[in-house]
Formats: sequence, C-alpha cells, structure tokens
Amino acid sequence: MIKEFFRKRDINVCVVNTGGCNGCDIEIVSCLAPRYDIEQYGIHVHNNPREADVLVVTGPVTLPWKNRLKEIYEKTPEPKIVVAVGACALSCGIFKEGHVCGPVDKIIPVDAKVPGCPPRPAEILDAILKIAPDAIASKEKILKKRKEGVKSTV
Amino acid sequence: MNVVPIGPIHPVLKEPIRIKLIVEGENVVGSELEMGYVHRGIEKIMEGKHYLKGIYLSERVCGICSYIHTQTFAECIEHMSKIEVPDKARYLRVVTAELERIHSHLIAAAVYDLSIEHETLAMWCLNAREHVMDLMELITGNRVNMGFNVVGGVRLDINKEIIDKIYKKINELEDDMKNILEVFETGPLINLRGEGIGVIGYREIMKTRAVGPVARASAMPESDWRLRHPTYKELKFKPVWRDEGDNSARMIVRHEEVMTSINLIRKALELYEESSGGVRVKVDIKGGSGEWKNEAPRGEVYYKMSLTDGGLIKRIMIRTPTVMNLEAYKYMLKTCPTVSDAVTTYTSIDPCVSCTERTIVLKDKKTGKIKPYSFK
Repeated sequence: MIKEFFRKRDINVCVVNTGGCNGCDIEIVSCLAPRYDIEQYGIHVHNNPREADVLVVTGPVTLPWKNRLKEIYEKTPEPKIVVAVGACALSCGIFKEGHVCGPVDKIIPVDAKVPGCPPRPAEILDAILKIAPDAIASKEKILKKRKEGVKSTV
Repeated sequence: MNVVPIGPIHPVLKEPIRIKLIVEGENVVGSELEMGYVHRGIEKIMEGKHYLKGIYLSERVCGICSYIHTQTFAECIEHMSKIEVPDKARYLRVVTAELERIHSHLIAAAVYDLSIEHETLAMWCLNAREHVMDLMELITGNRVNMGFNVVGGVRLDINKEIIDKIYKKINELEDDMKNILEVFETGPLINLRGEGIGVIGYREIMKTRAVGPVARASAMPESDWRLRHPTYKELKFKPVWRDEGDNSARMIVRHEEVMTSINLIRKALELYEESSGGVRVKVDIKGGSGEWKNEAPRGEVYYKMSLTDGGLIKRIMIRTPTVMNLEAYKYMLKTCPTVSDAVTTYTSIDPCVSCTERTIVLKDKKTGKIKPYSFK
C-alpha cells in the first residue's frame, strides 16, 4: 500500500531518440528548466533503460534502431510504459519515404501518443503524468498478486 | 587494451551515437566512433520534389538549428535566380537567426555544465533560454520548427508592440548573461575541469578543417562565415575568438557570442525600423545550379543544389559543421587524462548528430578508390 503510493511519485524516464530531428528532444530538455520543472512532479530523466519506468521515444525508427529498440524494451523493468512523442514517432511524418522501417508502434507496444511537430513541453509532461502513475500502480498490483500466487503454491 | 563503450543511450548524450574509448587504466589512448543511427536519407527524399516541399524538409535536418537551414536553402535559390529580397525581410532573418544562435549556445552551455556536475549554472542557462524561446514564438509563431523563411522573403511582419517586447526581453537577457559569464569565468571548480583539457592547436584545426566555435577558440576568427554575408557586413560584425583551444575557451567563446548576438539584434532592429515596404516578393525560379554558405550555431552550413526551370530539385547536397568537429575530437582526446574528461570534451564541441548523419564517402585522389567513411 505505502509502496504503491510512493511509486506513483517516483517516475524514472529514459529518452530514446530513434532518428528524430532533435526538435522533440530539446523540448524534453526544456521540461528540465525551472519554468516547467519536471522534478516537482517526481519525474527524473536519467536516460538509463535498466532503471526506467517510462520510455519516451522520439522520431521514426531508422534501420539500425530496429533491433536495438527491441533490446532496450526488453531491458526495461516491469511496468514497461512507452510514450511516443512527435509526429514522426506516430506515423513517420515527412520521413515516410526515407530509410526508416516504420512508426514506433510497429516495433514495440505504445501506451500514449503525443502529436505535434514538436509538441510543447507542457503537453509532454501532461501525457507522462496522465499515463504513468496509474499504470505503475496497476502493474504493481498485478506483480503483488503474482507473488502471492507463487507463495500459496509453495 | 580495455574498451569503454559509451552510447547509443547514455545519461550524458542527447542523441544516439556510439563512442568506444580505448583506455589504459584511466588514460584515454584512442577512440572509435560508430554513426548511422539517425540516418534518414533526407537528400534522397528531396530529389524530384518541388522546392516548396524541399524547404519544409530542410527544416527537419536538425531541430536545434532548424532556422539557419531554411535560411541557407532560401538564400541559395535566391542567389541562383538573382531574386532581390526586401530590406525588412533581410533584417528579420538576422533577428531570428541570432535568437536561434542564442538558444543553441545556451543549451550547449547547459549540457556542458551538467557534464561537469555544476547543476546550478545549467539551470540558470536553461531559465534564460526559455525567454528566448518566448521571443521566437512571438515573432514566428512556433517554438522549434518555425517555418518562417520562404524563398523571396519571410512569412510574417512584426509590429511596434513586438519590437518593444523584444527590446525589453533582450535587456533582461543581457543582465542574466553578464552574471552567467562572470560565474563561468571566475567560478573555482568550473575552470579546474576545463583548462588545459581537450587542447587542439591551430595546425590540427587546419588539418581537420574544424569550424565554428571550435576553430574560433583556437585562434581562427576568419572561420566565421558571417564575415562574408552581405547583411552582416552592413551591421559591421566582428567575431569573438580566443587562442587557448581548450574546453573552457570553447565555452567562453560561446558565452561571448551570445553577447555579440544581442548587439546584432539591436542593430538589426534599428535598421528594420528605418526601412519600409513588404517582407516578401513574388519569385521567378530559373533553373541551374549553385551553392551558398552560412554560419550555423556550430559552424558553417553548406548547401549545393541544382534545380529545373519549374523549381523541381534535381540533386541537393548538404554539409553540416559537426562532421569536421568530430574529426577534431580525435585530436582533443590526446590531452584527456580521464574518461569523464573525454565525455566533457565531447559535449564541449557541441555535437549535433542528426545534422551529421549524411552519407559520407571518401575518395582517394591518387588511386580513385572509393570507401565509406569511418573514424578508425
């Protein structure tokens, strides 16, 4: 119960640029600025997939990223939340004819989508806050049940 | 021989690139770079498209320096077809390009400060940057990808209220920047991490063709392409330069360029208020081929293109500054005592990977052999 409550306010984010133009990335960097102050909501941007709850993916998936993105998705711990940011991540945008292998939801399952080229920092923050605490809490409950099930069988 | 891999996802990197550092104990001996993660084939998509679509695509080459790409694209076509741009549009281009330079340099300074573990200064830089982003939204209508330039002028005009707001915000920014520059030059722990580390001399700059603030910090002020731009000649622009060539010299050059940019915006706005007329002319595109160079925040941007008479793009070539600066990074690593210094040196050249990911082919002039580019 207490763990669920506090996990809602401790969200670790890993930003993955899979071939975007940096526009979305610098809007995520502006979220760190004192005006938006992403850490007051308990969101920490670490860029470490092994500790992350939320993967923020920007850009169309280019050819070298296809297998790497799957690897990173497997490395992230259990509440695997993926937020696709920007028009390129949703539909490849204007790079559709280029050397890309499709939007993000073709490669890994996506939980939230933020449209815009690029979206404003407040929209990115809003999307993470809408999806992350509930998803973490519900997945935590599933994990707990699974543990109790294992104990009862033993 | 041990190898420390950094990237493609790493806390200090904004963009995906893989650096393999070859180390002996703590000393960095050599490095290998592996690129290609952000290659999307923009030049190939542009071929056969109309130039109105091309200018839209050229904005997405890079998100941080998006404005200067459209400006170079537009000026290249204007130079080829001999289109005279109205005075108001030329000064508005200077104002917006310099605002973009300020925001790019401030984000570079913030990332460098975060990599030397000085978070307070990084937050000050990011805070000052937000006001610049507000100004860009006020002038052009968008924060990052602005879509402001068109061939033959700019899309929108500004009025008296906006000019007053720009003056007010710029005066505040100048005070903030004086404070940040003083802290950066006199702070006790900041220069310990930067002085004498990642040194590159004039001779190696000539060998690697490094450009932008990297070259200007190693006593090469003539590498600034704003000296040869017709509008900047009217504004009597003078470049900033240093001769130490180390990490902290590169960052001080960037901080001082913010101050010169503020002065350039003031001069351009004064000239804008004197001039009259529209901001956009009707264009008549002639076929042919031509080239144009401009000074992006990281160095020189080079566009070469050939058009048909209707305005379809036959072939386009884009060269961006970070290609040469990454080559210079190889020489800087010789004076990096530890792995963490290698990382700060990487952030001090302010690399922009999504600009860099063009297909690069090296041709041996003697034998005529063609081989793909690698950093080994």
